[in-house]
Formats: sequence, C-alpha cells, structure tokens
Amino acid sequence: MSAPSSPQLPQARRRRKNPLPYVLAGVALAGLLTYIIFGNLAQSIEYFVTPTEYKAQAANLQGHTVRIGGLVRAVKYDRNSLDLNFNVTDGSATFPVVYQGAVSDLFKENQGVVVRGTFNAQNVFHANELIVKHSEEYRIPRSQSELKDMLKNAKDANAEGQ
Amino acid sequence: MLNLISFQSSPLAALGQVAMLLALAFTLAGLWLSVLGGLRSDPRSTEAARRSVWAVFAFVSLAILALLSALLRDDFSVRYVAEHSMTTSPTWVKITSLWGALEGSILLWAWLLAGYAFILSLTLRRDALRPWALGAMFVSLLFFVGVVAGVASPFTPLAQIPLQGQGPNPALQNHWMMAVHPVLLYLGFVGLSVPFAYAVAALITGRLSDHWLSVTRRWTLMAWVFLTAAIVAGGWWSYETLGWGGYWAWDPVENASFIPWLLTTAFLHSIQIQEKRNLLRGWNIWLIVLAYTSTVLGTFLNRSGIVQSVHAFAGGPVGPVFLGFLALLLIGGVALTAWRTPKLRDLGEAPAPLSREAAFLAGNWLFLVFSAVVLLGTLFPVIVEAVTGRKSSIGAPFFNTFSVPIGLGLLLLMGVGPLLPWRRADGESLLMALRLPVGTGVLAAIIAAVLGVRSVAVLLTLALCAYNVAGLATLTLRAARQRGSLTALLSEQPRRYGAYTAHLGLVVLALGLAFSGAYKQSGETTLNLGQDKQVLGDTLRLESLREAKYDYGSSAITQIRVNGQSFAPRMNVYAQDPGTPFPTPAVRYSVLGDTYLVTTNIDKNGKWASIRLIKSPLVSWIWVGTLIIVLGAGVTLLSPARPAVRKVTGGAVAAD
Repeated sequence: MSAPSSPQLPQARRRRKNPLPYVLAGVALAGLLTYIIFGNLAQSIEYFVTPTEYKAQAANLQGHTVRIGGLVRAVKYDRNSLDLNFNVTDGSATFPVVYQGAVSDLFKENQGVVVRGTFNAQNVFHANELIVKHSEEYRIPRSQSELKDMLKNAKDANAEGQ
Repeated sequence: MLNLISFQSSPLAALGQVAMLLALAFTLAGLWLSVLGGLRSDPRSTEAARRSVWAVFAFVSLAILALLSALLRDDFSVRYVAEHSMTTSPTWVKITSLWGALEGSILLWAWLLAGYAFILSLTLRRDALRPWALGAMFVSLLFFVGVVAGVASPFTPLAQIPLQGQGPNPALQNHWMMAVHPVLLYLGFVGLSVPFAYAVAALITGRLSDHWLSVTRRWTLMAWVFLTAAIVAGGWWSYETLGWGGYWAWDPVENASFIPWLLTTAFLHSIQIQEKRNLLRGWNIWLIVLAYTSTVLGTFLNRSGIVQSVHAFAGGPVGPVFLGFLALLLIGGVALTAWRTPKLRDLGEAPAPLSREAAFLAGNWLFLVFSAVVLLGTLFPVIVEAVTGRKSSIGAPFFNTFSVPIGLGLLLLMGVGPLLPWRRADGESLLMALRLPVGTGVLAAIIAAVLGVRSVAVLLTLALCAYNVAGLATLTLRAARQRGSLTALLSEQPRRYGAYTAHLGLVVLALGLAFSGAYKQSGETTLNLGQDKQVLGDTLRLESLREAKYDYGSSAITQIRVNGQSFAPRMNVYAQDPGTPFPTPAVRYSVLGDTYLVTTNIDKNGKWASIRLIKSPLVSWIWVGTLIIVLGAGVTLLSPARPAVRKVTGGAVAAD
C-alpha cells in the first residue's frame, strides 16, 4: 500500500520517513470502522421498554429485538410441550407473549418478568429469553428502580382491587 | 474512619484497619522516598523506598490474614463477614468469600500488587530506572491501598452482631472454579503494573532504549499467561454452572477482561520489533499505558454498576474513585509520552511491506481495532442512555459480526509472520514458503466441505488453522533437520519454540470456538419418571429424582440416562436465597463433542423433570488449546532475558 522504499539510498541522506501514508491508512481505517460500527450498532442495539413505552414506539421497534419488563398475567403453560402463553402488562398497556421452554415454579401471576425477543406485526411478543425477576441482586433490567417502582405500584393497585 | 476502629467491639476488624492504615503510611513514605531518590540520584533514599515496599507488603498481608481469619472464625462483628459469609458454608467457600464481594476483591488486588512490588524490589537492577519504577508502583499501590483503607474498607465493624451471616452469592459457591478464576484474573491485571511502571520510569528518565522492555518482557508474558488462563477459566465456569451450554456471552465484564488481553497480546508482539529492529518505541509505550489503563477500566465497569452485567456488584463510592484513577493514568500517561515524543522517534527505517515486522504491525492494528470495537460495543449503551435517556444493550450478534473476520485476519497473519524474515523478504521466496501451508489450507477446506461442513466461517477457520499448522511444521522440521533433533531446538531456542507451541494452542482453541459456535444444538423437554423420550436424536429416560440436604442448602438430583449413559444434573438451592434454584449441569466431555444435560425445572413430588440437552462439538478443544498456550508460554519464559548474541541488525541500527 505504501510506496516501496529504496534500499540503495545511503543512510545519511535518508530524511525522516514520510508519515503521510500511515496517517492516511489510519484515517481510512478509522472511517471505515466508524461507518461499519455505527451502521451495525444501530441494528444491534436492543432497547429496554415497558409495555406503555412500546405502545408509543411500536412503529420503530417492531421486528427489532427488545427487552420488555412488566407483570405476568393470564398464564397458560403446557409442561409437556413447554409452550407458554401469557400477557405482560404495566397496568396501562398489555401484550400477549409466547415462549417455548421450561419455566420454573417462580413463574406465576403478578410476578415481575423481563422477556427478550421481538414483536410480530400482530403485536404478539415472541420471547426467546425469559428472566423471572426473582431477586434484587439479579441486575439484568437496566432500570431496576423504575421497574421496581412500577411493579410495586401495579401490585398495590392489584391488592386494592381485590 | 478512625472512630470505626474499636478493638473492643471487633478486634480482627480493628487489626485489619490499622494494618491497612500503616500500609498506606508506608506507601506514602515510599512514594516520597523514591521520588527523592530519583530526583537527587540518591541511592540511600531509593534503598529506603525499596524497604518501604517490604513494609507495605507485610502490612497488607497482615490485613488479608485478619480478614481471612475473621471469615474462617465466622466473626460477624466484621461487616464484610456478616454480609458475605455464613457459618454453614464449607471452608473453601469461606476462603473464596475473601474475594467474593467488592471490598474483599479490592483487598486481594492490593495484596497481589504489594506482592508483585515486593518481588520487583528484590529483582530490580541498580540502574537509573530503579527509583522511578518503584515510584510508579507506589502510585498504583497508593490507589489500591488507599481504596481499601478508605472508601471500600472490608474492616468496618458492626455494632449489632448477627448470629448468622447473609452468606455468599450462590453463583460463587456453585463451582470450585470461582476459587481460581478471580485470582488468576487479578494476577494477570496486576502483572501489567510492572511493565507499566518501567515504561513510566523510562519516560521520566528519558532512557528509552529497549532496556525497560528486556527487563519487563518476562513480567509481561507472565501477566499475559495469567490473563489468558483467567479468561478461559471464566468461560469454563460459565459453561459448568450457568446451564446455557455456552462459555462466552460478550457480557460487559467479560469484555473488560478481553480488552487488556488483546492489547497485551499486541504488546508482546510489537516489543519484538523494538528489540530486533529498534522501531516502534513510542508505539510500545502507548500500548502498555493503554493495556494497564484498560485493566482499571475493566474494574471500573465491574464495580461502578454503570453497565448491566451478571458480574456487577452494588455501586457505592468506588465507581467514581476508579474513574478518577483511570483519568489519572490516562492523562499522566498521555502527558508523559507527549513530553518525551522527541526522544521516541524511531532510529531505523520504516518496516518494509514484506517483512516479519510488517506482519506483526498489521497484527497490532487488528488487535487495536478489535479492542476498539469491543470497547465501543461495551460502552455504547452507556452513551445512548446518557444522550437519549433510553435503556438499551448491545446483543452478541454485533460482536460476532466483527470478531469472526478480525479473528480470521489474525489467524492469517499468525501463519505468515513466522515464515517471513526480519527486515525484508522478496515476494518470490515468500510464495515458495507459502506454497505448502496455503495448499494444506485449501485441501483441508475441500475435505471439510465434502464431509458436509457448510458454514463459510467454519471452513475459513479450518483452512487457516491447517495453513498455520503446516507453516509451523515446515519451519520446525526444517530446523530440526539442520540441528539433528527436536529437543535440541527446544533447549536452544525456547523463546521461539515456546511461541510456536502457543500458536499451535491458539489453533486448537480457534477450532473449538468455530465448531462449538456454529454447530451447537439444544433441545428441551419434560420427562416423566421412567418414560423414554427422543431429544436431538438421543433417547432420554428419567430414572430417579431425589433431594439431598446440606448445611448450606439442598440439591435436587435427577438421574437421567442418555442412550444408556447415566447423567446426574442437579438443581441447587442455597439457604440465603431459597427462591433462586441454581442448576449444575452434568457434562460428559469427549474429544469430538460434549453432551450437556441441565435440569430446568423439577416436580416437588418427584414425578417429572424438565431438562435441556445441549450437544456442542469440540468444546473441550478450547480448554486443551488454552493448556497448550500456557505450556508454550511457560517454555518461552524459560529463555534468557537477553539474547546471548545481539542480532546483526542491532549493530547496523546502532551505527545509523
């Protein structure tokens, strides 16, 4: 890529090497890298949303992988086929979720949950990862405090309702 | 802080805290003495600084013994012990609790750093670099000892002493590997402080010849070996305990240990260009500054809680303090290097495009790009949140898109580098030398394609691995024919053949990564007692399901037959967190592929169990490959610090 240097030149006449090719190569590399990274990052970024937030941004997020956090409602689970259907809600918005895989006993009504997957065109969430919010130390949800408040409020509302 | 020292309420905590304060005092004294020794060229001050290192090491050792003894005696008057240990844990878990949480892990770091500083103080040559290298070590010590003595002290006493501690994090007691991985990792991180200290000393004194490199080459290599072993040990832990059948998830904290590894690997190669050709003097300084800084960055990410991670400990004031140290290292490093730039000009001519140094340099660029990509992917969610306020994360696909081509590029360069001579190669002889390796690579890819391998990435990996092996074999056999025997080669040039061995280990590891990544299969089902079911073509039968009780919790043990072979995956429940069952997979290792069985849910009445079966090929090649790398690096470590005969090029450059 750089110009071939000439070994015949006596050492004394050699000036300091020309840095231009290196600078150009560096800039080209950095530019390419930036282009690839930002193009790719925009595709790879996974947002964490509540059902209400998703409702507001459905047009942008549909088909992209997202994490959605909320409370579990209307659980239907077949132990033998491992098919799971439930609704995830934050009180004001609710979406149906489908998941395939074993679910522990911790998974029950009104449990906090974070699911990772994609919404299809019918607004059904296809989860490929299911994280039951079982412990304060488990830090997967970024907005732990938000989620906690939200879940707490929803739980209180639920208790009042009963 | 001082009112927290009470020998009445908590003697061990008080002892530990006093020891750390004394260590801090000696660190400050040592720093002052070494700067004095450097500025005035006063050997007596330098000698006193050297002895201060011994005192620091002694007092930090005393502190760590105090904490260890508090853990072993279940002394819950020490807050750290009350919060992270419990009476019913097995002894080995109590010992690992020493570094199982934030404060203890920084104490371990401080202790290892003091230990390295101690060894360094014994081996340091009496030269102009000595006081400044000591001084730079004291700056690192000041930070870590200061953090333990101050904002993150494990020696805070507890006014109300509980009868039972809260116990360690279940994830940390589920596998013995957790006893090994953090220690290896810290040995690697801390090991980089020594070449960093020498680089700083070289910058300050302006003695920027390759002396500082040849003195620290062994230290760097040792740190690199520990780092390599630590990263793979972490992967193995993940494989053995988390139950997802994988070993690497591009978790921010995995990335944080990977970035220093990439930079150190680059450094290990580029210092050879300085040693052999007297080039890249500034480049090497930058690399070691960045590598050491990145270990602190990793710890900052780990401890501050700014990125989501399975490793993230609770935040607290430690994050900002680490950020401050990070800034100090970066700003200090940049300022020092910028100040010495006039002295850092290379003496020799620029590398010819076809030469070993050009291959090393290209590899260096790839390592740098790789670490930049990993860093960006790790920090991007933080940037997004800072700018837009939205929570996000970067998925593994992002990292995979980049790591596969970069990894392949590195394999390509790794094969051609050793075939090229230093200084200059002519295209014709290179083509001759490459004929056999390239032919072997193409042949390997064709055979694999005929056998049914369809993934392009796997085919390319296979081809490049075969090409590497053929290249190394040609070089070794040719040399062996000249010298008479293979063992003669190994004892005459341990450095070269150690490196070849490490490259071979990397080839084995790469094959493991490629195949297990591309051909992992996983299936889930629920088995009723005594019933046969087909999963991934295997016949599974649940034979029994029983519960075993222990002091610290209980295990549900399932006996499952897979094609007649018995597996016993467990589901562990620890007393301190009964709501979280922890799976322990049963793995049958084999050369061609592992069978991995994990229980995901069990019936309380013992009638059924849900299980996941994972089959991934060549996973054990990753562990074996690492072992070969470590072995090769060990052979290289045996080589003399300075080559007995200076290369002819060295003389030519000196006359330049």
